[in-house]
Amino acid sequence: MSVFYDRFERHDHGTGLKGRSTHYCAGCGHGLAHKYLAEAIEELGVQDRTVAVSPVGCSVFLYYYFDVGNTQAAHGRAPAVAIGHKTANPDSIVISYQGDGDLASIGLAEIVSTAQMGIPITVVFINNAIYGMTGGQLAPTTLMGQRTSTTPEGRTAFFGPPIRMAELIAGLDGPVYVERVALYDAKQRVRAKKAITKALRLQVENRGFAFVEVLAECPTHLGMNPSEAEKWVKEAMTAVFPLGVKKDVEPPTDQVRPVGPEFDPVRLVEVFEGSTEKAPRFCAAFPTLWGTEDIALKFAGAGGDGAQTAALLVARAGINEGFDATHIPSYGPESRGGTSYADVHIARTEVLSPASPSPHLLVAFNAPSLARFGPTVEGGGTIVYDSSVIADVPSLPAGVTAIGVPMTQIASALGRLLVKNVVALGALQAATSIFPEESFLTAIRQALKSRCAMIPLNEEAFARGRQAVRSHEGSVQAN
Amino acid sequence: MWYRIPARLVKSSLDPQWREAPMSTVRERLKPHLLPQFCKGCGRCIESCTRHCISAGTEINAATGLIPVNLDLEQCNGCGLCISACPEPYGLRAEPGKDFVLEDPKALFGARRAASEVAPSIPDELLPLPAVEPLVVKGNYASAIGALIAGCRHFYGYPITPSTEGAELMAKLLPKLRGVFMQAVSETATVNMMYGCGGAGMKAMTFTSSPGFSLMLEGISYMIGAELPGVFVNVMRGGPGLGNIAPEQADIKLACRGLGHGNTQAVVLAPSTPQEMLDLTILAFDLSFRYRNPVVILSDGYLGQMTGTVRLPGTAVKPGLPSWAVSGDRAHRGNLICSFLLSEADLEAHNIHLNSKYAAMKAAEQRADLFETDDAEVLLVACNTPGRMAKGAVRELRARGIKAGLFRPISLWPFPIDALRPLLLRAHRIVVVEASNGQLEDEMRLAISHDSVPRPPAIASVRRFGGVLPQQKEIVDRVLEGVGAALVEGVRV
Repeated sequence: MSVFYDRFERHDHGTGLKGRSTHYCAGCGHGLAHKYLAEAIEELGVQDRTVAVSPVGCSVFLYYYFDVGNTQAAHGRAPAVAIGHKTANPDSIVISYQGDGDLASIGLAEIVSTAQMGIPITVVFINNAIYGMTGGQLAPTTLMGQRTSTTPEGRTAFFGPPIRMAELIAGLDGPVYVERVALYDAKQRVRAKKAITKALRLQVENRGFAFVEVLAECPTHLGMNPSEAEKWVKEAMTAVFPLGVKKDVEPPTDQVRPVGPEFDPVRLVEVFEGSTEKAPRFCAAFPTLWGTEDIALKFAGAGGDGAQTAALLVARAGINEGFDATHIPSYGPESRGGTSYADVHIARTEVLSPASPSPHLLVAFNAPSLARFGPTVEGGGTIVYDSSVIADVPSLPAGVTAIGVPMTQIASALGRLLVKNVVALGALQAATSIFPEESFLTAIRQALKSRCAMIPLNEEAFARGRQAVRSHEGSVQAN
Repeated sequence: MWYRIPARLVKSSLDPQWREAPMSTVRERLKPHLLPQFCKGCGRCIESCTRHCISAGTEINAATGLIPVNLDLEQCNGCGLCISACPEPYGLRAEPGKDFVLEDPKALFGARRAASEVAPSIPDELLPLPAVEPLVVKGNYASAIGALIAGCRHFYGYPITPSTEGAELMAKLLPKLRGVFMQAVSETATVNMMYGCGGAGMKAMTFTSSPGFSLMLEGISYMIGAELPGVFVNVMRGGPGLGNIAPEQADIKLACRGLGHGNTQAVVLAPSTPQEMLDLTILAFDLSFRYRNPVVILSDGYLGQMTGTVRLPGTAVKPGLPSWAVSGDRAHRGNLICSFLLSEADLEAHNIHLNSKYAAMKAAEQRADLFETDDAEVLLVACNTPGRMAKGAVRELRARGIKAGLFRPISLWPFPIDALRPLLLRAHRIVVVEASNGQLEDEMRLAISHDSVPRPPAIASVRRFGGVLPQQKEIVDRVLEGVGAALVEGVRV
């Protein structure tokens, strides 16, 4: 029994009788559940590896008594805390000890999800049909008609019937073992001890999630003496909460010893695809066309137009050239097909405001985008739009040049509608010379590193976009 | 780690001695023994005894005020049922020998396995990180990569826009590093998984956004109370309620003044570039373990989504294991992770201890970025993405001959008052630029007030809401329009 502390130093600093007595009332079931759990830990020889999670409720002081690693959780969250411990050290033996308010009321989401995940932890669930620590209120497991301080006339249909957790947990796929036991006589106590030991053994053998519901007595809040409370559990509680094994599908043990995480920095860099390859530079200097050291671009279209990719490629090209660049996407609420806008900035030294409320360059893939953002373009700026789908150009600020390029047509002639954003980039390059051709092509090749087969098509699309502007195939409107 | 069990009375199916014992073996059977002061008189032992050796007591025990049972062991056959019916650890015991006192539990239970008195503290190791070209990544990715470099291999989270890319990258990368990616059932579960993982001494983090951060606050309060590390990246979005998924800065109040219930504070860091998302995430892990306290990174929806250049540091962290951890091993068996202190005196002492940590953070963890502030007469104050807009405004104002400067707090709590104080001597005016209803301004005002700054400058503001960020032009306009008009709250259309 050395799993209990020699002296309960945390119980009122271990002074007086509290140093060796539990805080539980006479006849409370917790003491027995503690004892059987302590014996199981002892018998399985896992005291050093054990982490016990204390809940909120009467058993919040579990850590007063158990000489194991102890952690105290927020109300209902013990299974989540247990997952934290188990995933931090898969070698640890983690026990989530919870009462009925903790587990079956406030902590339902945590217990159900943890059970369904099948994480190999051991849950000891003490069901005494009432709230103990707060002073005898309705529990989710309170019986119909049972009087509590919050159901003074007895539990009515208004509160619904009591919840049967063992059956609920057994109905999930994750658990390997679920049993409901009781403590009211010697036979039940032997079973309870056996069940708790088994639930712990299944974790020690890494077989899976195990759950033991213990019907326990709370004489104080039932207003009974201890032996009346035992009788009540035996007669009233077991009628609603039948005892027995609810699930037992002991799977083969997984003896693979968990290996700790990898911290090798070389591997780390590999994993996030750090590269030592320096991108070549093609720009002689920062583009001066707009008389600014911070060029604002906007790409606007519908989701699927490729506005974001085009924007990223321009930003990437800028960064390759040694400038600072940023890209910010903004989408409509739809996962697919809504609006899709991108703000890009390219600055000689440092991008300040990364938004483009009045861009120098606009690429518009559809009429609403052009109508919305065309008028915001800075004087002296340039718009490239898809003339395949945009018939009317709105009135634009003075000094803004709009170039229509049949992006959709060109892309469709190439057999891949998807490349219309690259056509747009070619057009943008030819119309503005923001960066040299090779700058764009390098960024495109970088982006397609893992899909090399797509490179020739994209190069062709880029060339066609340029051509469209150069050969005046594009319709130019200068204000 | 299996131990032989000295169980003589405890029946165990796992004890080979017991299993293999032939039926005819006569075993030594010890009779129960009870020190009456440890009996609460519940009487479970009474009905368990088939020989009626135990009876309900009649005398009140002077030490406890309870009525212990009476033992009359003449008929006792040492079956042990009463012992396993006794709920008290130091209640009914198998008789250990004659005349013992409980002052020495060894006499009762034999020598115990000792956990080490003080577990060793294994420090983090810094390993050289191979030099690579700067990454071009989103702010959220930069933060995730920063976490990996800082030695974080445990991620817990619940998807929420606009923070999800961070979680997605972790889901992709962590398995390759034998780390743990766990999508929790909720943000509430998330923070409690972090509580468990942090309690085990590991570096845990999450990405979330405003509504999710609200849900985590309870758990953050527990973490602060239990003194646990953990890094929370809150990519702030529009609120209140479900709000929207556009950037806002309206969680500053929560992070600086409202980390759940009780006396809570944490270092709150506000990056304004993808580079800072990485740098400050690395710093956050360091501070989190240094102070045994959560650290909050407040980003905004723009910055999380923003792609930019990110340079990597020269080293990566291989984590150690702190001595206080509950890691499920012998050395740390004596530890407790707990925020519960029932005695008022204990809890007051704990709060005083926390206060001393907060004071240490205030002294050592103020961070700010100053831009053109040396001769600034108009001081813009802004953080996160609005900090960049404000920087643009400073350039524009300088070009127009106005001596403007930017004071950009990087730590929102503690507010970097030490860096601000000298600037207040020259500045005539402060314009706080933010995407919230004055939450940054409140932090600054509190800091100025606590600092007893004599005659602080007039404070004006540019405030936008709902995902609309202050733009450079309106900042410039506000500075130009003069103090009087600027004090009128709200937004000019």
